[in-house]
Formats: sequence, structure tokens, C-alpha cells
Amino acid sequence: MDVETILRGVQPLVGEVVPIRSVQETRPVEEYADAYVAEVNVKTASKVIKALDSAFPRDSSHPLNHLRRFAKHNQIPESLRPTLLKEGYLPSQTIFVLIPSPLPAPEALQTLLAPFVPPPRETPLPLPQPATADPSLPSTSAPAPAAAAAAETTTPSTTAPATSTITLHTITVPMQPPLTPTQAEHWSSKMWPVVFNPAAPRALIAPPPQILSRVRDAIAPKAGRYLALAQAVAAEAERSGLGRGVGAVVVDPELEPTDEEETEASSWTDAIVAVAGDGRYSRREGGQPAPAEIAGGGSGPSPHRGTYDADWEGGPELHALMRAVELISSKRREDKPGSRRQKIRPVLYGLEEYFLQKSEVPLRGAETVAGAGGADVEREDAAAPPPEKYQKTTETEAHAIHLHHKEVEEQGAEAGGGAGGVGPRIRSREQGGYLCNDLDVYLSHEPCICCCMGLLLSRFRAVIFPRRGRMVSGGLASEPVVKPVPVEAGSDHPVEEEAEGGTEEASTKNREYYGLHWRKELNWRALGFEFVAAGESEGASAETGVAFHA
Amino acid sequence: MDSRHAYFMKQALIMGEKALETGETPVGCVLVYKNEIVGSGMNDTNKSMNGTRHAEFIAIEQMLENHPRSLLRSTDLYVTVEPCVMCASALRQYQIRTVYFGCGNDRFGGTGSILSLHSDLSIDPPYVVHGGLFREEAIMLLRRFYIQENENAPKPRPKKHRELKTSFETSIPGSQASSPTI
Repeated sequence: MDVETILRGVQPLVGEVVPIRSVQETRPVEEYADAYVAEVNVKTASKVIKALDSAFPRDSSHPLNHLRRFAKHNQIPESLRPTLLKEGYLPSQTIFVLIPSPLPAPEALQTLLAPFVPPPRETPLPLPQPATADPSLPSTSAPAPAAAAAAETTTPSTTAPATSTITLHTITVPMQPPLTPTQAEHWSSKMWPVVFNPAAPRALIAPPPQILSRVRDAIAPKAGRYLALAQAVAAEAERSGLGRGVGAVVVDPELEPTDEEETEASSWTDAIVAVAGDGRYSRREGGQPAPAEIAGGGSGPSPHRGTYDADWEGGPELHALMRAVELISSKRREDKPGSRRQKIRPVLYGLEEYFLQKSEVPLRGAETVAGAGGADVEREDAAAPPPEKYQKTTETEAHAIHLHHKEVEEQGAEAGGGAGGVGPRIRSREQGGYLCNDLDVYLSHEPCICCCMGLLLSRFRAVIFPRRGRMVSGGLASEPVVKPVPVEAGSDHPVEEEAEGGTEEASTKNREYYGLHWRKELNWRALGFEFVAAGESEGASAETGVAFHA
Repeated sequence: MDSRHAYFMKQALIMGEKALETGETPVGCVLVYKNEIVGSGMNDTNKSMNGTRHAEFIAIEQMLENHPRSLLRSTDLYVTVEPCVMCASALRQYQIRTVYFGCGNDRFGGTGSILSLHSDLSIDPPYVVHGGLFREEAIMLLRRFYIQENENAPKPRPKKHRELKTSFETSIPGSQASSPTI
């Protein structure tokens, strides 16, 4: 089919762009550890902190800033009151200090805190808890083991009136900062006063909300189009017999026309810098014909696509994402036609060729000045706001990077541009192009874990795929799609299900959810989105189809 | 250590050394089939402008010029650094038999450090991993690389006052799967 015809026929998917939750969000670590609590003279509180910090330096990798260092009488959780408040001091006399892990030796701690023992009791009080509160105590059960532990581990001196010795109580505290105010309140009421800081821990957990929503708003209007094109690329790959039905579309958000620029002359494909389809049946290995050639010379879909047999699967470098990355790289390198790399990783499909050739054409606005100095280019560049980077770099570094890009371009322009040197759609190495920096990739399917890491290593800004394209072997989702289980589903098509293979079902249930797009351990992060089609509740998900690596 | 393993890991280290000379992250590897090197590779991300061109992919590409991919089922990989998440998954998809690596990779490691893609549930069979062969040599290669400035980065970080560290901790971080004496 003619490329222009395919492009005209692309009907945007209708639906919604939703952020994929990160593994840190879907599987929060709830880690608890023992900590000591000591009752000290309230007037010496600042000295207590000084003494503790100099004697037992804090572990900077676990700052524990969410735990309050002191708790006043009224901040002590209900369940700890019988233990902690039984000495009967007044709130004006004493305060409770927390010594979290790494726990020092109890004797050393007691010696250190000895100068700060509570003053003599002014008015001995009865137990602070009125008898009516007692029946409620067993129900506040969360830290009950801790309370029990406290009773057991207090030093022998508790039986004597505590005037000259510090008593250490052992309690249990959360080691990770709370993710929500509700969690902070819960912990504060059950374990120990906890502070919720909405800003500090967030970046390690999930993308900062304002960045996430800004990018989502920016990509939402056209995501349905790009994904529909990714599916058209996938269809071309499958039809050809050279690959499975998987496609990728790479978009440079900087090239999106602004509202004013959106004229009849502009096309919805303007910001697309490359597309690629899967090509796993296209490679010759060990001098043998490629699977597609054996299967009948690329006429019609491959017979291997209905099953998974590793020997016919080529390799991940033939997957759509990896092929798209290589197409971008070949532009950055300015490969000469017929170079060795082009022979190893050839362009396979009409749509790929179309967008590659399009990327040779200089940007609109740059055409007029090609070879005529670079003043206009410079102005256009200066007018464009510096785009942001959301990966590891800080805000200031990100701007510096783009200023650097601009400098390089300006230098190029001043030098007279040269053939194709002005405003190409994919910047070459000399023009400051670097990997897939700041590009977005739209995929017909959830990429395999190899490709997920490949897209992170390539520094894509964002990755988007349809929820229906989730794969058993995918690496982006971090949790199953929760949806109501249809009661009578499948009863009338048992034969079809059989034809799709029986082993896939088991693997669907047991699939791994790696959530690689914002995993805190990895050095590079990308924003991950799913496209949820309108009215998506029934219909086949790729998860239930043949299990393969997309 | 078996002298065979020592020999092949040395060959991987030589590839890493070559990478360092050409300004690439110094990771090298060799693929061994029936005691014969059938593919070798070093990182190529800077030269190729492609962040996925890791040593493992280069070696596999070279091997597949002369052999079918089914041979990888009886092939072992010797690589100076624990395979990253991407390569660990690729090796699983290619159904490699065994992976021997030098030092762990606590940023990206996919065979024990960050993820355990060699043994997790997957549609491909698991593979065996041994870490810690010539670990110190592999680390020294990386240290010699990282005290340099990255001229390929859009904004290189100045590293004028870095000194080459030559001491080692005794533990083997990030290689729980390791059995240093094989």
C-alpha cells in the first residue's frame, strides 16, 4: 500500500493518556525497625540532640528525617502511653527523645544521656490514662508487639523511681518516609510522630506531579494519532512477513507546531522523526536464509507468528524499539548510503523509508536560509523556549545542555551551514545531537524488558503504549490492570482460545511487573504512559495472546 | 580458578582495554562455544551514537555472521562487568548457557544487582551466572575510564581533581550470584 494512502487512512485512537504507576508506588516498601525512646528533661532538649549527634553520627544514606526526634506527652501514641507515661512527670517537665537505628549500645546511650535525666517530680500524678480508656487499649493493636517488647527490654532500673538513671524503651518505627498524609497520620497515631513532606521523597518514588501532568497534557492531543500510526507500522511489518505486528513512532516534541503555526500547510506528521517496525524474521544468520525467506520470500504474514519458538525470533535488536533507535543513530552518525551498518540493519518498510527521507528535508523556516548565512535560524532558535529534560539532570543542568546545543547550531550556521547542515530534523553529532535525548516514543505494544532498558539507555523523555498492548513479557507496567471479571466470558468460543495456545494463560497470571520507566535504582528514567481506549473493558489484550517479546 | 576460565576472561579484559583506548566505556566480552571464541565485543555507544550498542550485542552480532542463533544454547559468555538489565534480558532471549562476569554493576546490573533476569520467571529458560572472575582488573578498567571527562556528553562534568583509586573492599557488592572460586 502507498505510504500517503496509509497515512491518510490513520484514524486516531480515542481514549485517555494515563501515567503508569512506578514500582515504588505500587509496591511501597514498608520497612520497620526498632528504636529507643528515652524520657529526658525538657529544658535540656537541645543539648540532648547535640550529645547524640556527636556521639552517634547519623547514617546519611538513611536520614530518617520523617521521624520526629522529640515527642511531647500529648504526641505519644495511645498504645505507648501506659509504658512511656507511667513515671508520671508533667508535660512541662519532660519530653521524649527518639534514638533510631543504627542503635547504639544501651549502656553507652544511658551514660551519654545521664546528665539529662528528668528533674525531681513536682506533683506525682496518677496514671495519665483514665480507667474508661482501658477497654479501648486492646483494639489499638498495631504496635502491640512493640509495647510488649518495651516492657521486656526496659532496663531493670524501671522498677525503682527513675531519678538518676535513663530508662530506654524499645518501640517500632517506620524506616521509609510516608507516601501520603494519611499514612503519616496513621503511623503517628500508632507508632511514633511522623512528618509528611510532599516534596522530598517524591522524585525517587514517581515523576514530580507537575512535570508528569505538563507532559501528559502536551502529548494527550496527538497520542491517539501517533499510536494509530504505530499500529499501522505494526500492520505493515506483519503483512510483509519480515516481523511480528509491532511498531514504533518517534516524535520530537520540539517540532510540534504551536497553535499559531498550525496551518493547512502543516501536517499531523510534522513532529515525527522516525518510525520502525519489528523485523525479527528478516535477518540471515550464519549464512542461512532469513526465516522470512525460508517461509516464502516475504509474501504475507510469517507462519511463525502464531507460536513462540526462540530459534525463529531473531533477537531484541530486531524489535521495533531497537530498530527505531538505530535509525535515529544512523542519522546522528550521518551514515553514508551502503555503509556496513546499513547492510547489517537495513531499512525494511515503506513507512520507515518515507520518514527517513522526510528527515533529510530541512525544517520549515530553515529552508529559506540554507546557504545564506544563519541569521534567521538563529532567531528562530532563540524564539523557541528551551525544552526541559526530566531525567537525572537538575533544572539548571538541563538548560545548560540546551544552551550548549544552541551554541553548537549557531556556530554551524555562522560557518555557512553547508549541505544539509542547517536545521535537519534529526541533529547530527556535530550539531549536538545525542542518543535519543528529549524524544518521545509511541509503541503499539508494551516493550520487552530488554527494549525498556534500551529506551532508558537511549534517554527517551517519554514512552507511551496502548493498555491493550500490554505483554506478558513487558517491562513497563508495574501492576495488573484491575477490572471486573466477566462471569460468562469465553464459554461460547472455547475453540478459539484453544487455538491461541494453552501455555500463555498460565504465564499471564504469573507475569512479572518490572515498572522500569521510573525505577529508582536505575540511573536513567523516562516518563511512562498508557493509552486507555474509550470504553475499554472487553476485547482482547495482547497479554492473553501468544507470549513473545515485543 | 580453572585456567580455561582465566584465559577467556583475560580475552574479555583485552577487549575492555581496547574500548578504553577508543574512548568507550571499558566493558569487553567474548562468546565461547566448545572452547573456541566465536564472537567478541566491546562497548560501542559513543562511536555509534546508539546507547544500546553494548559489548554483548556486538559479540552476538559477530557470532551470528557465521553461526545460527540456536548455537547460543551451548555457548558461554565471559564479560568484564555484570550484564546490564538490557543485556541480561537479551541474553535470556538468546538462551545463553552460562554467564561469567568480573565485577558487579550496582547501577544497572540485571543478573543479581538490580534485577535477576537470569533466573526470574520468563518465557525463556534461565541461565547460570558466576561473578567475581578478575573482579579487580575489571574495576580498575572502569576507574581509569571514569576519572576522564566525558567529551561525548552534551555537558561534560569537570573532573580535574580526581585521583585514581587503587584499593579494594574485600566484599563483592552486587554479585550475590557469585562463586569466586570456580
